[in-house]
Amino acid sequence: MTNQIKEKLIKLSEEIADLISCSSDLINLDEIRVLSLGKKGSVTAYLKNLKDYDEDTKKQIGSLVNQVKSNINNLIDTKKISFRKDLLNNRINSEKIDITLSSKERELGTLHPLSRTIEELSAIFADMGFSIVEGPDIETDYYNFTALNIPKEHPARQEHDTFYLEPDKDGNRKVLRTHTSPVQIRTMEKLNLKEFDEIRYIIPGRTYRSDHDATHSPMFHQCEGLVLGKNINMGHLKGCLIEFCRSYFNVENLPVRFRPSYFPFTEPSAEVDIGCKKEKDGSLSIGEGEDWLEILGAGMIHPKVLEGVGIDPNIYQGFAFGMGLERLTMLKYGIPDLRPFYDSDLRWLKHYGFLPIDNPSLHSGLNGVFS
Amino acid sequence: MKLTWKWLLEHLETEVEIDQVVEILPKLGLEVASVIDIAKDLREFVSVEVLEVNKHPNADKLNVCMVFDGNKHFKVVCGAHNVKVGMIGVFAYVGTFIPGLNITLKSSNIRGEQSDGMLCSEKELTISDKHEGIIELPKSTKIGSSVVDVLELNDPIIEIEITPNRGDCLGVRGIARDLAASGIGTLKELKIKEIEGNFESVINWKIDLNKDEIFLCPKIFGRSFTNLTNEASPSWMQKRLLAVDQRPISSLVDITNYIMIDLGRPLHAYDIKKIEGKNLTVKKSKKGDKFNALNGKIYDLDNEMLVISDSHGIDDLAGIMGGERTSINENTTEIFLEAAIFSPSSIAQTGRALNINSDARYRFERGLDYDSPELVMHYAALMIQKICGGKVSKIVSLQNKNKNKNKKIIFNPEIILKLSGVIIENKKSLKILEKLGFNVFVDNNNWNIIVPSWRSDIDGVADIVEEIIRVNGYSSIPTIMLSRKNYIAKPAMNSKHRQSFFATRILATRGYNEVITFSFLNKVMAHQFNGGQNSLSLVNPISSELTDMRPSILPNLIQAAQKNINKGIDDISLCETGPVFKGDSPNEQLNTISGIRIGNKYIRDWKKTSEKFDFYDIKSDVLETLYSIGAPSNSLKIYTDSPNYFHPGRSATFKIGINIIANFGEIHPEIIEFYGLKSSVFGFEIFPDNIPIPKNNKTARPMLKIASLQPITREFAFIVDSLLESEKVIQAAKSADKKLITDIIIYDIYEGTNIPEGKKSIAIKVTIQPILESLTDKDLEQISSNIIEVINTKLSGTLREV
Repeated sequence: MTNQIKEKLIKLSEEIADLISCSSDLINLDEIRVLSLGKKGSVTAYLKNLKDYDEDTKKQIGSLVNQVKSNINNLIDTKKISFRKDLLNNRINSEKIDITLSSKERELGTLHPLSRTIEELSAIFADMGFSIVEGPDIETDYYNFTALNIPKEHPARQEHDTFYLEPDKDGNRKVLRTHTSPVQIRTMEKLNLKEFDEIRYIIPGRTYRSDHDATHSPMFHQCEGLVLGKNINMGHLKGCLIEFCRSYFNVENLPVRFRPSYFPFTEPSAEVDIGCKKEKDGSLSIGEGEDWLEILGAGMIHPKVLEGVGIDPNIYQGFAFGMGLERLTMLKYGIPDLRPFYDSDLRWLKHYGFLPIDNPSLHSGLNGVFS
Repeated sequence: MKLTWKWLLEHLETEVEIDQVVEILPKLGLEVASVIDIAKDLREFVSVEVLEVNKHPNADKLNVCMVFDGNKHFKVVCGAHNVKVGMIGVFAYVGTFIPGLNITLKSSNIRGEQSDGMLCSEKELTISDKHEGIIELPKSTKIGSSVVDVLELNDPIIEIEITPNRGDCLGVRGIARDLAASGIGTLKELKIKEIEGNFESVINWKIDLNKDEIFLCPKIFGRSFTNLTNEASPSWMQKRLLAVDQRPISSLVDITNYIMIDLGRPLHAYDIKKIEGKNLTVKKSKKGDKFNALNGKIYDLDNEMLVISDSHGIDDLAGIMGGERTSINENTTEIFLEAAIFSPSSIAQTGRALNINSDARYRFERGLDYDSPELVMHYAALMIQKICGGKVSKIVSLQNKNKNKNKKIIFNPEIILKLSGVIIENKKSLKILEKLGFNVFVDNNNWNIIVPSWRSDIDGVADIVEEIIRVNGYSSIPTIMLSRKNYIAKPAMNSKHRQSFFATRILATRGYNEVITFSFLNKVMAHQFNGGQNSLSLVNPISSELTDMRPSILPNLIQAAQKNINKGIDDISLCETGPVFKGDSPNEQLNTISGIRIGNKYIRDWKKTSEKFDFYDIKSDVLETLYSIGAPSNSLKIYTDSPNYFHPGRSATFKIGINIIANFGEIHPEIIEFYGLKSSVFGFEIFPDNIPIPKNNKTARPMLKIASLQPITREFAFIVDSLLESEKVIQAAKSADKKLITDIIIYDIYEGTNIPEGKKSIAIKVTIQPILESLTDKDLEQISSNIIEVINTKLSGTLREV
């Protein structure tokens, strides 16, 4: 009896296996599962009839049925996986798009080359321990001239084509600062001599002169530098500015020349040249050739300037420097003309501008490589 | 300051060549602007004799000539009217570069006649602009000689930029002195002979100044010259004057100009016959006085201008320009020569007020050699007698003897190292000072230095240090790195700088292009944006478009956009970070972050339709920017009272307390129309200075608590008053359960069919975050009914039936 049932079950199991392997899809496979293993399924039926047999037979048949059920389940699962795989493959094969099409959502904007330069300068000078300070664009005659040892009628004043504002009721007229140097005075005035040992500041900002032609703009930008301490001498000025020139132009052994010059607020004064090659077409190669290009002015802070802000020049001394930022930008990034800096022409901004994610720093580089 | 090489050698004994001098000058602080050596291009031109001149067979105006250079004969076609047999001309061989024509000469055939060379004009040689006719050299000229030698062109011109402190280098001798100090030669002694004069001067000085005003003219010298002949000056003098841009006029004028360039000492000569009375008086002008100047102009003088007057009236503006009435001309036979010291600042003030620029003013302003008046009286007398003959009177002078002392500086040589870092032997320093004309009395570490009379710029120890290290060479200053010992790596920027830096970057990532525009604009624009007050107007603007300090960046941005639109660019996003001005004191200058957008946010393509920028885009820009620069979003309150340059119904203001943090929205249509723009402009201005800087400077963040349970969302639609501000619905709903409701967004606003007149439907999605335990259906039911109830009681809103 048991053997007979066994044979029947094996046969049934083989028939179901055939059905599974011939099944057409997931639905068909599920039908087979219901017909065989469902509540009223052909395999399940054997378990329903077990009550007619003795315990031993029950055990044998029960165990056999479970084995068959497990086999069928395995076959169905395997077949299911294969069906799913086919389905996915079919879907993938049917899913093809035109990858040459594009749809632009929004372009990144650009940063102005001048603000880039200010950031590069800040990075270089930050490394030398400088911090940024700022001052007002509208100045008094005192801060812009007198305190900087440029008294009224001094010939140096004529070189500053000064913009004046309407005089107030007392006849005092303010000026638009002609250089960033007045911020030196404002900064030193505020120093608490008891507390400070040494200061290092850079002062970038807008400056104004009533001059307008191909190489002059009525508004332009300067960056001033100020270092003051008890043991700062002209050697430090030289070291600091050589390091700046080389870092900024990214030329390891850039020749840097210091020449005597004159500024009323420094003594001794110097102009700083960098080595370059002036090409016949007017372009420049920085760090090559035999020519010199003037890029900044500097000097030891004039004793009269220090006295004027209440600092004893016999105890404290320091240096100051100043440079034109448009010129530095033009030289580094090959921008031929000054005027478009303020023209807001989007074509120019996109061409010479920098991506906002390109943040100049000493570790990521100062040269806007990917822009 | 221009000088020629040979002129320099009159004062400088040296072995070195010009190239070396040109290299040394900038190292002394005398920057070389240019060196012009016309001889360089003219070495191949030679003198030739014209042997034959025959009419060109095929051209009326041309001649065919035969010339001889002493060696060979050349046939040349020549068009000059003055070519004649026997003349000595200047010849260019085939292959010579002709600088005036910028060509290299080729052998050519001119209308059938061979021409192998060229007879040249002065213009072709670039020695003058003269091009009518070819150069005719003196008959005595040896043929075959270089034109450079024949015409003495071998004298290069050096132009030097003199800084305002170096008045002493506005004469050839001063430059020679600096060069001598540098060690390349020696300063020659000035050829001078004291001429006492054998009669009393016809004219005398008077000074009509108060005692306390003597500083205006501490010294004035003069002497008379008679029986002069004032013809053209010698050619060597004319040539030198022309080289330095001084037009030769007559011997007497040329001599004064020559001495001015030579010694940097301006002089003035009066025609004695034209002076009325026997005295010249130094005094101050009065308002209403007129002055008829040498340049042919009549000037209205003001009070306090220093002038010189005879009994007739003013005829000299001291140190600036002589008068027309007493001026010398070719018939002059008697002169009175003036050499004075006037106050530089008085000269500068007068010159600037009258807008007269002269070589004399330039030198007086920069300070003259205090001892020069005496010296030049003799120097000039010698030259005048040599060139114009005649007789010389005794010198007449007035001077303030007390002032006639050289400055003294006590100097400790240790300061050289302390200030400059340069180690230099005292012996060398002393030698440099001595060569520059300083007298030093050494008393151990106290050097008593007497400053030479020509160095008015030197007045302290720092100046002395500069003199020594400048001549010693700046290249010997050591290179010392700033020490790092007191510094740890720290940012250059403070939190205010960082705000601008971040804001610009955030805006650029959102598509804005950063611009930099002028801080000034025109008056109409200034008024439109609530500026234009008198205290912010420029007295001397560069143009009527740039007259007022800007009250806002927005007008500049709108103008910038307009320029781009004119170039065919329609979709524009521009931003700028910079100052705006509310008044002229430092605290009325506000740092502002501003931006505008015009046109399409998205351009239509195969995937999407175009979308224009609107108020809400600008609002997001503002919020994102504020968030990135640390504005506390909880304290931001939105108001409708934005400035009048915004569209009143489509703009807003964010404030913290009473401080305005940002204005934003659509720019007023009237302004847009004024600029001729067709589409709406959306803009904002953020005032970062009004954002409080958080006091807490801890870098550690508060502990993050992550909810372990899944959030649940519920959606509602309410019918509310159509004018109700949507934000109120969110605030009310949130108040239903402040703990569990974490987010509410409005996902639909609807007015129209099925909604009663005057009402709108607002649909919200509420996110509920269980904290400690899962919420039951009953809990959720409770929250939902709380929301419905609070909207009902607070806003009279009803749940929309679906």
